[in-house]
Amino acid sequence: MLHLLKIDLKKLTSYRTFWVVCGLYFLTIGFSTASGMEFLKWLANTFDKFGSSLNIDRIPLYHFPDVWLNLVWWSGFFKVLLGIMVVISISNEYTYRTLRQNIIDGLSRWEFLASKILTNLLLSLISVVLIFIIALVTGFIYTPEINWNYVFTDIEFYPAYLLELFTFLSYALMLGIFVQRSGLTIILLLLSYMLEAIVKANIDDYFPWLIPYFPMESISALVPIPFYRYAFQEIQDYVDPAAVAIASAWMILFNYFSYLKLKRSDL
Amino acid sequence: MDTVLTTRHLTKDFGRLRAVDDLSFEVKRGQVFGLLGPNGSGKTTTLGMLMGVVNPTVGEFSWFGEIPNHHVRKKIGAVLEHPIFYPYLTGQKNLELNAMIKQCPEENIPGVLELVELADRRNDKYKTYSLGMKQRLAIASALLNEPTVLILDEPTNGLDPMGIAEIRELIKKIAANGKTIILASHLLDEVQKVCSHFAILKKGRLVHVGPVDDVGKGAETVEVKADLPDFTEVLMQFPGTASILPENGVFLVTLREDFHSKDLNAFLIERGVVANHLVTKRKSLEKVFLEILSEPR
Repeated sequence: MLHLLKIDLKKLTSYRTFWVVCGLYFLTIGFSTASGMEFLKWLANTFDKFGSSLNIDRIPLYHFPDVWLNLVWWSGFFKVLLGIMVVISISNEYTYRTLRQNIIDGLSRWEFLASKILTNLLLSLISVVLIFIIALVTGFIYTPEINWNYVFTDIEFYPAYLLELFTFLSYALMLGIFVQRSGLTIILLLLSYMLEAIVKANIDDYFPWLIPYFPMESISALVPIPFYRYAFQEIQDYVDPAAVAIASAWMILFNYFSYLKLKRSDL
Repeated sequence: MDTVLTTRHLTKDFGRLRAVDDLSFEVKRGQVFGLLGPNGSGKTTTLGMLMGVVNPTVGEFSWFGEIPNHHVRKKIGAVLEHPIFYPYLTGQKNLELNAMIKQCPEENIPGVLELVELADRRNDKYKTYSLGMKQRLAIASALLNEPTVLILDEPTNGLDPMGIAEIRELIKKIAANGKTIILASHLLDEVQKVCSHFAILKKGRLVHVGPVDDVGKGAETVEVKADLPDFTEVLMQFPGTASILPENGVFLVTLREDFHSKDLNAFLIERGVVANHLVTKRKSLEKVFLEILSEPR
């Protein structure tokens, strides 16, 4: 398994686009999650100028245990950048025809796919670890009184975040394998949420129970929007098991469809 | 002699087009097997099926008597159509990647780069290579795992005469080491020079398979010339003459079976005629090829 991951990393680590896109992604999620407090200060300043006041100490953005969910929810938005990188990586294999050569040289089709899936898993894991460390550090900095009972509460959102990223990247990989051209695939990837929203809006009146089963919906449902708790005191501080089940099913299906397509096509 | 490759009723349809039709042949160890045919006759599709990138519609094949799988492919070095590498990687890195895929030691890389004379360009990106260098890198990559079988598809495509000669020498050198080579080409001269056996494909069907040496067999043709006004008459009197065809001042004499050019020469001397030109013509593969292809089937 490690051997397959090494093969894919060998292809990527000398590829400048990979470093640019991944660099942008990790810098963006890293800095944006770490600098929320600075943003709040800037917001308070702006409020001051207009004569009203905002007590930022009352917004527990980085307080344990809120910090876990807050950062994970926020960085989830940027996963589309990773998705684009995955699409570029797979569609390059088609445009350069190196997929064909890899098979001729002795990879099985499954091994080729597995090397891509393992890279997806690695990229997802790095994101999770990065956000975990940032949350841990900022939590200790900004939480006024550390109560050890709360420090590791709600940490279950991290496995959920991992599933969210990995399922989305599996979707991007599948899209790339089916469409094979990077431009079109990236557009489809970006439009996925919107297309799904249109479908959802149309069936909402007839089959509302169907909504949670949509792929993008199930990916989003893994990590719920945290800010309701500040507005309505209404808290979902657990990962919904149904969402996990549905997203896992999609994750398996996406990778299985990729495999079927790869197995059946003439390269 | 043991069998390296067997195909049985191999067939591939692309939609309504039948690209390869009921192909059955064998390649034995140590053969240099030429696969001939006009463009679009199914050579590359056949090799694609043998290398696992094209799924056969019907039929089967086996390498070394085994059911084909990706482990078998690691023992085969193959270049299909044009060279394929990652353009943004250097020649060296591309070969390192191939070594990982083929699970062979990286220590083989300097040797094959030396063989194809690319050692001094190994740290340049693949996209900066000329076509000849790309072809040579592809051959280096095919040789990387010290394969027992080498598959080359138009290896001299787009090369200059010097490059063609170099690759031809390379193929002979590799064949001399006892490797089995399957060579697809439409350059017949090339096949005749390096191959021991050949097969001809026409519209996906196998129309001929046999040793290259057989090509020269059959009726002999002698090209002869003498400064004699009634030379045709003399030739007609030779009992071994089957037909005479005057061509550019010389006569092409096709002999009957069991007659050879030396018999004709002896006959002429007996008659007091001195020929100032006498050449035994071997049938060229090109001629055989064109003959076979023009046969209606």
